[in-house]
Amino acid sequence: MIISHFAKDAAEIALEKFNRGEIDRRSFLFALGGLGLAAAFKPGVAQADASEIVVCNWGGAAVDAFAKAYGDPFTKKSGMKVVIDGAGPAVGTIRAMVESGKVIWDATDGGMIDSLTLGKGNLVEKIDYSIVDKSQVPENFAGEFGVSNYVYSNVLAYDADATKGTAPTGWADFFDTAKFPGKRTMCKWIQGQLEFVLMADGVAPADLYPLDVDRAFKKLKPMLADIIFWEGGAQTQQLFREGEVVMGNIWHTRANLLNKETPDKFKWIWEQNILSASAWSVPKGNPAGKKVFDFINSTLDPAGQLVLLQIMGNGPSNPKTLALMTPEDAKVNPTTKENAASQIMLNPAYYAEHETELQNKYLDFISS
Amino acid sequence: MRNFKTTALLLTVPASLVAIGLYAAPILQVLALSLTEPKFGLANYQSLFANAAVGRVVMTTLKVSVMTTVLTVLASYIVAFAIIHMSAGWRRISLFLVLVPFWISVLVRAFSWITILRRRGVLNSTLMDTGVISTPLDLVYNLFGVTIGMVHYMMPFAILLLYANLSDIDRRIMQAARSLGARPATIFWRVWLPLSLPGIALATLFVFVFSLGFLVTPALLGAGKTLMIAEYISVQISSTSRWDLATSLSTMLLLVVGIIVFAAMRSPALRAAFVARPQQ
Repeated sequence: MIISHFAKDAAEIALEKFNRGEIDRRSFLFALGGLGLAAAFKPGVAQADASEIVVCNWGGAAVDAFAKAYGDPFTKKSGMKVVIDGAGPAVGTIRAMVESGKVIWDATDGGMIDSLTLGKGNLVEKIDYSIVDKSQVPENFAGEFGVSNYVYSNVLAYDADATKGTAPTGWADFFDTAKFPGKRTMCKWIQGQLEFVLMADGVAPADLYPLDVDRAFKKLKPMLADIIFWEGGAQTQQLFREGEVVMGNIWHTRANLLNKETPDKFKWIWEQNILSASAWSVPKGNPAGKKVFDFINSTLDPAGQLVLLQIMGNGPSNPKTLALMTPEDAKVNPTTKENAASQIMLNPAYYAEHETELQNKYLDFISS
Repeated sequence: MRNFKTTALLLTVPASLVAIGLYAAPILQVLALSLTEPKFGLANYQSLFANAAVGRVVMTTLKVSVMTTVLTVLASYIVAFAIIHMSAGWRRISLFLVLVPFWISVLVRAFSWITILRRRGVLNSTLMDTGVISTPLDLVYNLFGVTIGMVHYMMPFAILLLYANLSDIDRRIMQAARSLGARPATIFWRVWLPLSLPGIALATLFVFVFSLGFLVTPALLGAGKTLMIAEYISVQISSTSRWDLATSLSTMLLLVVGIIVFAAMRSPALRAAFVARPQQ
């Protein structure tokens, strides 16, 4: 589940920034809050009672960032404490909790696709839209079992020194080794991978789903020897920095960090970027009951979402956040109008149905 | 004496309880899951054998493990053989150097190998600067890199096992061979090697079984292209939620390793390795 991979990575980014002194402790804690990671981070088992909201995200620096972006503002408004547990709300873990009747989390940071999977398994509550203000987010971000808290994109990043200043113009250039010699990188987790291969092969964005796996594999096959597959965001930065690859499909947050390090060398394009939405879900029988929806509603507030963008680079799910952004913020945000011009959106319903099978096919394909 | 024995036995109880609680119980749980997820029966095992992708993962694992075992035992034998012929002082230093990698985490070691083997890494830069090669060699993010990382991880174990065995061999036998006119090569092939077979057998078994379960090294140095059983299982647990596949494959791996160890222990060479050595 890429979502979890991404959320974990966003937390790592915030921690690095904090360690380098680029953000202060307060902002850092705030960003972790934004990721669903905590006003007060309690490692291990969070003690749930009805006077607090327990949020579970993917740990690390995101614990503090969520606290800052989501926790503090809510506590100020409602007086309720927000506890962020960084244990990682994997679908399997939520299933084990709900089935054993020992639910300790109120809101989990898991992504649209996870919310659908959980909903199908009857493991999460329906989002109560009498409390959560649906109009804060675009329609497709307000699902039956999950409402989006932030977004991120897969973009084409490149080493401008290696391409001698020529900028690629879309995913087709990923495959053009004559024009852009050198190795490539893409992710070994399936979400957002076959989409770009198919677009490079000339499939129109509207015709992407259902994904034509055979066609994508056929296109990818001759390139395999030149591709290094990444599994975590930090690794993508390392591959570029060390000159191991000249081009790759990586998260926009990491492309941004590379660019900040060496602005003239590492760049990325927003053309044909692939947007994914993360989302809150509420496990069945959550300790705080309906109160969690007040919390979820408050995380859709633009101010907190802006903080998350500034600390972790995660894009806001509430379009009103755009108005608060400085030009600097807008440049690195995947939902800014210019950046989203040729954007496609990952199809959560398709993945909820086919991801397991696709992921295993894909692993088999790249390792054989 | 009897009292002492009882006390000694009692002292092992806490450790046994911990081992059962933390080790045996989870294994049984995995076994149970493999038979009941999603419904009771052997269907998971049937589909395991029908799954061509799993077959390829198993083949990759075997290939890497065999290569690792052969290279590790060969290289370790040379090192161990050299160590037993050193003076006491040098031997201490050498054994210390063999132990150093134990203090370094497997992650750090994998990343160090990436630094050495990558396209602009230490090795490629040196070779290119000295004009030996003109374009960097692909030394990592493939099977080659994985094997190097695994051999490096396994060597200290194999060296220590072989060292223990080799240093137990009675040197007077070599003196006898020499006095009968044998050349050094003959002494090695006809005396050293046969006498060290128990050590070689033990090191081979240990390295091979250990290699089957490697996770971090192939994941990092193989970059997705060298998919071994442990990583495959971990993906099925955490990413794809295919617990049926993960638990049945784990159980099969455990079973196969059990059979290998059981069969190997019946061989004379390995039995000899475990026989209490005669006091001289």
